[in-house]
Amino acid sequence: MNFAPYTFLVIMAGLIMASGVYALYWAVKTGQFNRLEQDAKTIFDAEEPVGQVTDHFPGKTEPPAPAGKS
Amino acid sequence: MSSALPTPVSPPAPGPAEVVADRALLSEIDASTRGPVFLFLVSGIVWLLLGTAFALIASIKLHNPEFLSQQEWLTFGNVRTAHLNSVIYGWSTNAAFAVAFWLMARLSRTRLQHLGVLYVAGALWNAGVALGIAGILNGDSTSVEWLEIPPYATPVLFVAYALVGAWAIVNFRYRQQGHVYVSQWYLLAALFWFPWLYSIAQIMLIFSPARGTVQSLVNWWFAHNVLGLWFTPIGLASIYYFLPKVLGKPIHSYYLSVLGFWSLALFYNWAGVHHLIGGPVPAWVITAGVVASLMMVIPVVVTGINHHLTMLGSFSQLRYSPTLRFMVFGGVSYTLVSLIGSAMAVRSFNELVHFTHFTVAHAHHGMYAFFTMVMFGAIYYMMPRLVLREWPSAVLISTHFWACAVGITIYVVGLKIGGLIQGWEMIATNAKGELVHPVFLDIVKDTLPYLISRSLAGILITIGHLAFAVNFAWMLLQKKAATDSQPTLFTTPPALSAAPKS
Repeated sequence: MNFAPYTFLVIMAGLIMASGVYALYWAVKTGQFNRLEQDAKTIFDAEEPVGQVTDHFPGKTEPPAPAGKS
Repeated sequence: MSSALPTPVSPPAPGPAEVVADRALLSEIDASTRGPVFLFLVSGIVWLLLGTAFALIASIKLHNPEFLSQQEWLTFGNVRTAHLNSVIYGWSTNAAFAVAFWLMARLSRTRLQHLGVLYVAGALWNAGVALGIAGILNGDSTSVEWLEIPPYATPVLFVAYALVGAWAIVNFRYRQQGHVYVSQWYLLAALFWFPWLYSIAQIMLIFSPARGTVQSLVNWWFAHNVLGLWFTPIGLASIYYFLPKVLGKPIHSYYLSVLGFWSLALFYNWAGVHHLIGGPVPAWVITAGVVASLMMVIPVVVTGINHHLTMLGSFSQLRYSPTLRFMVFGGVSYTLVSLIGSAMAVRSFNELVHFTHFTVAHAHHGMYAFFTMVMFGAIYYMMPRLVLREWPSAVLISTHFWACAVGITIYVVGLKIGGLIQGWEMIATNAKGELVHPVFLDIVKDTLPYLISRSLAGILITIGHLAFAVNFAWMLLQKKAATDSQPTLFTTPPALSAAPKS
């Protein structure tokens, strides 16, 4: 029986596990989990700020104000 | 950042300088994705239409076997397999790439770099899929489910994907945004996981096949992980971006979204072997798969609650936003399909639904009602920002949504009922332990109404896809009108619409 492919596969599996562990380590080290509530707002900016609805059917020029009470 | 901004010819809309600068930056970022996104979207939609045609033929053949029976290249085995591969590797993966590129540019707050790699990857990927589908119709299928594409086409697919994966990591290094938003975690993980899954499965099944039942383990490890570690992360990345973005409010609990990502990363990879419950593989492997499938309840419930609480108070927006409609339909479907999936991994329930139409309905619930609907939503949001004009027809958008939403609901509900009846009839025994339905054909006949309901659902879905494709082509081909300078979907000052393309 040829074990070469299996050796390769086990090494690959080890590497992929290690990459996951490293990603978690990197995330903690770079403070990805430190300011969760503020970071949730990183997708908004001055052009598309919090509170502005950004999608409507074409032709509906008067979008309603967002009803959200977040 | 500001050094890379285009200089508007004349001052655009009145407003603070910061707003103008950011607006210019977002427009520039969106514009940088235009080429690759169009390449992958247009090819994806062509595959969607082809895959839909294959699906209809396969569905009709199940209740009218004589349909197209003179065409040997369109036997059920060929056409069903061609359907699966054209919608998975053709439509879904192309759409996932397009949405992922656009999202990555936006989330990194930087223009996409090294576009040439993506053009090569796109050309190779679609050539590989075309070669694969042609091979399948020619009878060259490998007969390994989800990996039917013949071995002469798969290396092309692998190279194409590896290019995209490597490109994604390089592009991530250019990011201007310090925080890695949860969507980007999902995107990078998905782009990283798929080449690994695909290469391992190809090696262990096609190029240097493992022995005996290990093959079936690898097969289902791969097939389930394509859903869970490739399509699910792309779908969730889209919902986590577009839901807050459309509503203009942050996700209800960012903490929960991060927890959802890491628990998915931890559990999903184990779950696939629940497909082999009752099969000749070691019981502990199956048990590990069942446990992982039930652990998936954590990321699913966390995600479902989070999406629902974000939507709370904003449900009226569903009337006004096409993107939101598709996203919410997809998000609700994700919660439902995943919980049903966990239940299907429990041995006693699996005994009933294994080898029935229930599983087929479940697969479409996940790949269509969740993933494809989310992709449609994302495309409705992206396109106006890429071509700088509105979708030409609101009626076609509504037609698309309702035809597909009603169609897939009929499909899933009908086929699940049919599958349950089929399952009950196949295992029902009387007091003496004899089969209540000893004649298999009787059971097949009892499923006929549900197979017909699937074809009707398929016709509705086809109508939806045609509406979408017509609207899409119309949007791409139409000439710029005078009104285009003031799209209502977003506010781009006229001066920036004419800004030089990067």
